[in-house]
Amino acid sequence: MRSSITIRGAREHNLKNIDIDIPRDEFVVITGLSGSGKSSLAFDTIYAEGQRRFMESLSAYARQFLGMMERPDVDFIDGLSPVISIDQKTTNRNPRSTVGTATEIYDYLRLLYARVGIPYSWKTGRPMKKQSTEEVVESILKLENGTKVYCLAPIVRGRKGHYRELFEQTLKQGFIRVRVDGEFREIEKGMQADRYKTHDIEVVVDRFVISEKSRGRIAQSVEMALEMADGTVILSVQGDHPGENRDMLFSQKLFDAESGVAYDDPAPNLFSFNSPYGACPKCSGLGYSYDADPDLVIPNHELSIKEGAIRYMGKPREIFIFKQLQAILKEFDADFDTPVKDYPDELTDMLMEGSGDRLFDVSYDFRNTSVTYKHVFSGLISGPRSICREQIR
Amino acid sequence: MQQTTCPACHGGRLNKEALSYKVGGYSIDQIVNLDIKTLRETVYSLELSERQMLIGSQVLKEIRDRIDFLMNVGLTYLNLNREARTLSGGEAQRIRLATQIGTQLVGVLYVLDEPSIGLHQRDNIKLIRSLETLRDLGNSVIVVEHDRETIEHADFVVDLGPGAGINGGYIVTSGKPEELDAESATAKYLNYSVSIPYPESRSEGNGKTFTLKGARGHNLKSVDLSIPLGTFTCVTGVSGGGKSSLINQTLVPILSSHFHKAKTVPLPYDTIEGLDNLNKIISIDQSPIGRTPRSNPGTYTKVFDYIRLLFAELPEAKIRGYGGGRFSFNVKGGRCEECKGDGVRKIEMNFLPDVYVTCEVCKGDRYNRDTLEVHYKGKNISDVLKMPVSEGLGFFDAVPRIKRVLETLDAVGLGYLTIGQSSVTLSGGEAQRIKLARELAKIGTGDTLYIMDEPTTGLHFDDVKMLVSVIRKLVDKGNTVIVIEHNLDLIKASDWVIDIGPEGGHEGGEIIAEGTPEQVAEVKESYTGKFLKDELEKSRLPADRMS
Repeated sequence: MRSSITIRGAREHNLKNIDIDIPRDEFVVITGLSGSGKSSLAFDTIYAEGQRRFMESLSAYARQFLGMMERPDVDFIDGLSPVISIDQKTTNRNPRSTVGTATEIYDYLRLLYARVGIPYSWKTGRPMKKQSTEEVVESILKLENGTKVYCLAPIVRGRKGHYRELFEQTLKQGFIRVRVDGEFREIEKGMQADRYKTHDIEVVVDRFVISEKSRGRIAQSVEMALEMADGTVILSVQGDHPGENRDMLFSQKLFDAESGVAYDDPAPNLFSFNSPYGACPKCSGLGYSYDADPDLVIPNHELSIKEGAIRYMGKPREIFIFKQLQAILKEFDADFDTPVKDYPDELTDMLMEGSGDRLFDVSYDFRNTSVTYKHVFSGLISGPRSICREQIR
Repeated sequence: MQQTTCPACHGGRLNKEALSYKVGGYSIDQIVNLDIKTLRETVYSLELSERQMLIGSQVLKEIRDRIDFLMNVGLTYLNLNREARTLSGGEAQRIRLATQIGTQLVGVLYVLDEPSIGLHQRDNIKLIRSLETLRDLGNSVIVVEHDRETIEHADFVVDLGPGAGINGGYIVTSGKPEELDAESATAKYLNYSVSIPYPESRSEGNGKTFTLKGARGHNLKSVDLSIPLGTFTCVTGVSGGGKSSLINQTLVPILSSHFHKAKTVPLPYDTIEGLDNLNKIISIDQSPIGRTPRSNPGTYTKVFDYIRLLFAELPEAKIRGYGGGRFSFNVKGGRCEECKGDGVRKIEMNFLPDVYVTCEVCKGDRYNRDTLEVHYKGKNISDVLKMPVSEGLGFFDAVPRIKRVLETLDAVGLGYLTIGQSSVTLSGGEAQRIKLARELAKIGTGDTLYIMDEPTTGLHFDDVKMLVSVIRKLVDKGNTVIVIEHNLDLIKASDWVIDIGPEGGHEGGEIIAEGTPEQVAEVKESYTGKFLKDELEKSRLPADRMS
């Protein structure tokens, strides 16, 4: 092994054809005035050449994807090892990159929590228990008599693929219905799912109506589903409308009987805020969200609406939104001359966040006739908020 | 729009299910919000069942190792949940360093660029130890660095110079730190035969102050900050102590919304008094300047706009009806259309690197022939772009607004750059000083407050000397300068020092020393004071010798 990195005739940037031997396996400092050529020597000559030689060792096919490194302006370099540069520019600007992920400590923490973490119900704080088939059946029978229930065996949970063979096989086993991503379908020949999307696929094992008499059948179906889906079963309770269906997940694994909360066996991706299975659904894993600031909508509570309290709308004009405001204020015995600070809290909240289901009689001119209709009010903040959501997406 | 903590996960980033798992009584979001120091204690004392131990021991070992690496590079105050984009360049680099040490590779050549940035002197030795660990594993380590302590610990030093830009690029001296040619600038600073001068008596300012009371964002413990106006104040303290929380995230937002109606929200505080004595704030932070090949010192400092207008005012240009845009190399009209004003043409060679050739039409002049026929004092616009700043100073002597900008560029030590030098060829320190020059060129009101965040980044001892004199000039005009800094050379040259700490994270957030550098040096609880005392004594020696 050579004992030094030999550089001859380095002329990159402002370097003046310099020759130097830098000892290997030592701790070397390059110093000098700002702009004297330190970076030109360390990064643009030594690092660039090391990187280039590594690239050169790759096949021409691989190189076309990498883009080629420029050969530094130097006559000769010898004694180079593979080079790793730790500079300041390569910081990740993505909000999903944290100290934990950059150091990989978070990856190990995820593994730790997935393997030895003790689950507690998020509703009650009680430790989770595993369930036997009998316990599952008992829980189901607690539902109201006459409730229609689908017994489903979840066989694919959030994985990509077209699953054609799976559908075929299921059909051969004698099951004719499946639920793909929440939608009930009959299995047809050659049926397949979108290959590049993640899917949830459940096989419909049975359909039954809750009653004490059908206990045997329920037990049988649940057992079959548990077997097919590796210890889990979904009971889809059918409401009067399709929108009212709700799923109950039972598991031989983790379940809190009191709150009805069941967890899947944890995988490391449950603890990843960059995976849809772990991320907080509200902020999708960022930990914060952007929202409109009420203080910017009404910056000065001393003003009345007539004086332009709602900054982004200005003073009252003959337009619908002000008619709406007028109608709401009337209900609270206020008008455009009342300063905002004198509004009851309920009114202020309603102006910001909207009236929900509450309707107000709004009078306005429509095709030259004055009409009065009932309207809901969507809130002063909803406009800016939805504009902003669109821009963030 | 305001950024608010997510109401569903309270900043935990995960869904309810994931957050309800616990190990040793801690949920994963509790773990990631501990600072590294506390995390280490927690992880080492986790109460686990025998079964948990059996399964988790391997994973725990990996976690502990990595935490120890982070401790070793002085990042004790960070937490795992901290976003990588909010880290300073030096912090990010030290994290990567910690990860690299973890890989235990052998025979690799590591190249680092100023890893000591943003690191307090106290933690510097830890960083040096980490670099030595890398070497002892059997690797070569090359570090570009200005820090005295790092240079002293090196096995081999290469000193480049003697000047900067075209005056640099030679090897001045190389060898073991103690074997360096004693005549080289670096060696002189190393052995204290030359040192950055600091005033014997400190400026007391104009007697007025402004006071920020009850700052309590992040780890700040209801801090009352009082800055004497008309002075050069340094805010110091160990990393994570709360310097940035106090200055960049509380003071700067308050002032910029007060003076410039910026819609920034400061961290919580009670009151601020004495703003009547100021009328402008200029904040120079660490964010990089644009790095496109079309940006250059002239365009960045806006001096090129004035130069273009000057050319447009010339009789020759008026006869031809040329406006300022005609003299821009970025828009159609005056530029050479063959190379679109680049002066060079890029020829793509597919899997070989791109080749740049001088444009055969304009011969590198970037403009078309008609535009180049307009001359000012015998030079055309292309000649001006190729002119070093120092030369431009005399050339534009009669045009005060151009001269003033060029003067500031020269004053921050960038006289050797050409006005049209492409930004991509500038070093980090040069780019930062161009930024500094642009701000300094704005007409100071005499009641301006300048706030700078680590302006010594990338600066050699000699450059720091230049910086100190620039700051002095500002203060002498009655302005106030606040600098967040770790560099002892700069701290000792200031009028007033405010040290925040004592430690990083929750053990910091208080002002522990405040006064002239000499006064702070006597405060025993202050780490900065300790190092400052050393530095003051050492740099006083040669002066005594001379007298």
